[in-house]
Amino acid sequence: MALYDTEEQGFSRRLVLLGSLQAGLFTVLAGRLQFLQIARSDVYATLAEANRVNISQISAIRGRITDRNGKLLADNDRNFQIRMVPERVADIDATLRDLAHILKLSPAEVFNIRRKIARGPSFKPVVILEDLSWDDFSRFNLDLPYLSGVEPVVGQKRVYPDAHSVAHLVGFVGAKTREDLQRVGRIVGDNVGRSGVERDYENDLRGTPGVRHVEVNAVGRTVRELQSDPGEKGRDLSLSIDLDLQKYANERLKGHSGSVVVMDIHSGELVSMVSAPSFDLNMLSRGIDVTEWEKLVDHERKPLVNKSMRGLYAPGSTFKMLVALAALEDKLIEPDERIDCTGVFGFANEEFHCWRSEGHGEMNMVDALERSCDTYFYHLALRVGINRIEAMAKRFGFGEVTGIDLDGEKGGTVPGRDWKRANYDSGWRSGETIITAIGQGYLLTTPLQLAVMTASLANGGKLVTPRITRITEAEAPATELALKPEHLAVVQRGMYRAVNRPDGTAYGSSLLINGARMSGKTGTVQVRRISKDERLNGVIPNSKLDWHLRDHSLFVGYVPHNKPRYAVSVVIEHGGGGAQVAAPIARDIMVQLLRKTQAEPERELAAEQADEARL
Amino acid sequence: MSYQARSGRLGQLVSLNLLHAPLMVISILLGLVGVMVLYSVAGGDFAPWAWRHAVRLAVGFLLMYAIANLDLRTLFNLAYPIFGGIFLLLVAVEVFGDTNMGAQRWLDLGFVTIQPSEFMRFALIMALARYYHTLHRDDVSQPFGLLVPLAMIGVPSLLVLGQPDLGTALMLAASGLGVVFLAGVSMRYFIGGIIAAVAAVPVGWNYLRDYQKERVLVFLDPERDPLGAGYHIIQSKIGIGSGGLFGKGLAQGTQSQLKFLPERHTDFVFAIYAEELGFVGSFLLIFMFALLIFLMFSIANQMRHRFSQLMIAGFGFALSIYVIVNLAMVMGLAPVVGVPLPFISYGGTSLLTFMAGIGVILAMERQPLADLPK
Repeated sequence: MALYDTEEQGFSRRLVLLGSLQAGLFTVLAGRLQFLQIARSDVYATLAEANRVNISQISAIRGRITDRNGKLLADNDRNFQIRMVPERVADIDATLRDLAHILKLSPAEVFNIRRKIARGPSFKPVVILEDLSWDDFSRFNLDLPYLSGVEPVVGQKRVYPDAHSVAHLVGFVGAKTREDLQRVGRIVGDNVGRSGVERDYENDLRGTPGVRHVEVNAVGRTVRELQSDPGEKGRDLSLSIDLDLQKYANERLKGHSGSVVVMDIHSGELVSMVSAPSFDLNMLSRGIDVTEWEKLVDHERKPLVNKSMRGLYAPGSTFKMLVALAALEDKLIEPDERIDCTGVFGFANEEFHCWRSEGHGEMNMVDALERSCDTYFYHLALRVGINRIEAMAKRFGFGEVTGIDLDGEKGGTVPGRDWKRANYDSGWRSGETIITAIGQGYLLTTPLQLAVMTASLANGGKLVTPRITRITEAEAPATELALKPEHLAVVQRGMYRAVNRPDGTAYGSSLLINGARMSGKTGTVQVRRISKDERLNGVIPNSKLDWHLRDHSLFVGYVPHNKPRYAVSVVIEHGGGGAQVAAPIARDIMVQLLRKTQAEPERELAAEQADEARL
Repeated sequence: MSYQARSGRLGQLVSLNLLHAPLMVISILLGLVGVMVLYSVAGGDFAPWAWRHAVRLAVGFLLMYAIANLDLRTLFNLAYPIFGGIFLLLVAVEVFGDTNMGAQRWLDLGFVTIQPSEFMRFALIMALARYYHTLHRDDVSQPFGLLVPLAMIGVPSLLVLGQPDLGTALMLAASGLGVVFLAGVSMRYFIGGIIAAVAAVPVGWNYLRDYQKERVLVFLDPERDPLGAGYHIIQSKIGIGSGGLFGKGLAQGTQSQLKFLPERHTDFVFAIYAEELGFVGSFLLIFMFALLIFLMFSIANQMRHRFSQLMIAGFGFALSIYVIVNLAMVMGLAPVVGVPLPFISYGGTSLLTFMAGIGVILAMERQPLADLPK
C-alpha cells in the first residue's frame, strides 16, 4: 500500500481543473438548451409545424357555362391521371423505365415527360398519362407497384359538349403561362382560361380555391388529413347565346368563311355569334401537337380568329343607310327627290359605276335603298361631304370597339380628312367621298359593329352595347343617337322593300313567319380593282375567280319588320354578291329564330295588307 | 464514509446496500430514461427498441453487480490482459469485421455481434490507470513514461480510425489523454500538443473522407445543404426547439413520430427526448449526467490508489466527453460525429460498457484500502 501525499494534491488539482472545464461545458449546453427551447421556442415550433403540415391549395370546381336556356356549353368531368412529383422520386430514370413498361408509354411520350420534368420545378407534379378510362385507371392502380413519387390522381377537366359551334365564344382552358399569372394573379391548379369567355371571365369561373392541410412525414407521404376546405365553386355563367340557333348558324356557314351575328336590338344580348370556319375546343383544351396547331394558325380561312369581332371588312352597301341619314339630318335632300341613274357617274375625269351597268333610272331615297343604287349615293356623297359621313359613322359606333364583354375586339376604321392627313399625309379627295358613300375605300368595320348599327336603325336610334353574357337587370347601356323618327322611317322603309319587294336586292330572301317579315340591306364588297378593259369585255363573274379575289358578301337586317326585336349581320368572305350568299343565310337563320320566338297566331290578312300599304 | 473495505462474508456476494447507492441509482435511472425514450420513438411501442434496451439494461445491471463483487486486486491483475484481448479483437475486426454502413465496426462472434472499439475505451482507461499506478511519479513526464501511454492510446485509436470511425477514434484518444492529464503529465506537453493539433488541422483535413469534410462544412453552415447533410442538424434543432418549456408529451413529438429526425433511436435520441419532455425534462437529464460525473470525480478524489483514482476519474471524464459531444452535436454546437448518448442511445455494446464501468467504480469505491502491488 502506498500513499503519495504530494502527488495526491497534484491529482486533486488536475481533477478540479478537468471538473471545471466540464462544468463550463455543461453550462454551455444548458445555455444552448435554454436558447433553443425557451428563447427561440416559438420559431422552432413554427418550423416543426411547417414540417408536419403540408398546406396545399386545391382548385375549386370551375363554374359551368350555359347558353341562355341552360344548355351546357362548358362542363367539368373527372380526369383520371397518373402523375409524378419529381422531387419525391429517388431515381427518375428507373421510375420512368418502370412506368413506360407498365403504362406502355411510347419513347416519344417518355421524351416529353422528361422535358416537362426538366422544365418545371421539382415539387410540381408532372402528368404522366391522363384522360384514362376508369377501367385503365383502376387497372394501373393495381399494376403500379409501389413507386414513390408516382400518384394516381382524379383531376378535373373541361369538356365542351358542343365543341365547334361555340368555339370562339366559350374559348378553352389550357396550361397556365407566365403571362396568365400577370393577368389573373395567383392561379391555383394547372389550368386557366386561354380564350373567349373562359379567359375573360376567369375570375368568376375560377371560384375560391380550397385549402387542404395534411400531416406528412419526412418523405412527404400523407399521414392523415387534418382539415380541408373545399373552397367555393366557381360561378356558373349563362351566355346570351341560344345554342340551337348558334348550332344552326354554324351549320349554315359550313363551307364558308365568315360571320353571323344575331343581336337583341334592345338589350344588346347576342343571341348568336358565329365565326366560320370553327375548330374543336376539346382538342385545344386537351393540348394539341405543334403540327396540328400550325395547321390551324396558318389556315387560309383563319379558323382561330373570331371574325365577328376581329374580322375587318368594308361594309359595302350596308353603309348606305348612314349616308342617307346624314343627308336627311342636314336637309341636304328630300326623301322624294329623284336622281337619275344611268349606270355611270362621272366626276373629275373618273368614272364611277353603278353595280347595275344599265342603270336604275329615276330613283328616290327609298328606291335607292331598295335596289341599292350606287349612282344615287354617288350624288348624295358630294352633297353630304366626307365630314358628315364620318361623323354619322362614328355616331353609329364605327371606328371604335363596341364594348362587348370579350377581349380582343377590333374597332375598324372610319376615314376622314384628319385621318387621311395623319395616316397618308395627304389631303382628302372628293373621289374618296364617293367611294366611302357606298361603303368601300378605307372604311373598315367588324360584323359585330354592323349588327350594332342595324340594331340602332331598328330600335329607334339607340346605340346598344353588345353582350355575350346574360344581363339580368334591365340595364343595357345604350346611347341615344338623337335621330329623327321620320328619317329612320325612310331608311326602314328602304330596308323593308329591299327584302320584300320584287325589285329589292334581297327579294329572294324574303320570309314570312307568323306575320313577321325581315327588313334588311345587302352589301357586296369588291376586293379587287376592275380594270377598264374588263368593264368593256364584261366583268368576270365571281364563280370564275380565285376564292381570295371574289367579292365579300354582306347582309344586315332585322326582324320582325313591324316590331323589330332582333338584328342580324352576315358577312361571307369572298362569298360573291350579298344577295346571292349572305342574304339567304340571314333569312334561314331568322326563320329559325322567328319559329322559336314568334309563337303569336297568324295575323289577320287585313292587318298584313295594311302594313304593306304603310311601308 | 469509512475507508473500511465493505464486503460480505467470504464466498458470498456483496450485499447491494454496501455499494455506492447514488452512483448505481443514477445510472439505472438513465438507462430507464433510455427505455422510455425508445418506447416513445417507436410511437409508443416497446418493439423494436425499448424492450431490447430494457433487457440489456437488466443484463448490464447484473454485469455491473458482478464486477462490483470483484476484488480490487483481480481488477488490477486483469487490466492488462483485458486491454490485450480487446486489442486483438480490434485487429480481428480489421481482418474479419462486418462492413456496416461503410465501416467495419462489428465483429460477428456467431451468437452476438460486438463492437470492440466501444470496449476499448473501457479497457484503455483501466490499462492506463494500471500503468500509472506502477510508474514512479518522477517518470511521468519522462520520455519513456510518455511514450508507452501514447502508444497504448495511439495504436488502438489509429485502428479504430481505420475502420473508419472518426468519432469513436477521437473519443478513445480523448479518453486516454484524459487519464494522461490526470496522471500529472507536465502541462507543457498538453499546451504544446494543443498547438501542434491546431497546426495539423490543415494537413489532417486532407485525410478526412468526403462525408466527414462535408459534415464539418455543414456544421459550420447547416443551410449549405438543408436537405442533405445539413438536414440532420436543422431537423434536430427544430425538434429540440419546438419542445418548448414542457415538451409535447411522450410519443407526441411530431419531429420524431413523423420521422423528420434522423438516427432517432441512436445518436439523435436526445432530440426526441427534448422535443417530447421540453426544457424541464432536458435540463433534468443534463443535470443527472452532470451529477453522475461529479460523483465519480468526488469518489476518485477520495481514493488512495493511483489505479482507482485514475480509473474512476478517467472513466468519469470519458463519460463526460461522450455526453458533451453528443449533446453539442444534437443541439448544433458541434459537427455530426457518430457519438451515442451514454445509457440512453440504443446500442448494446455502449450500454454494457458503461454499466461495466460503473461496476468497476463500485468495486473500487467499496475497497479503498485493499492491498495492491506497487
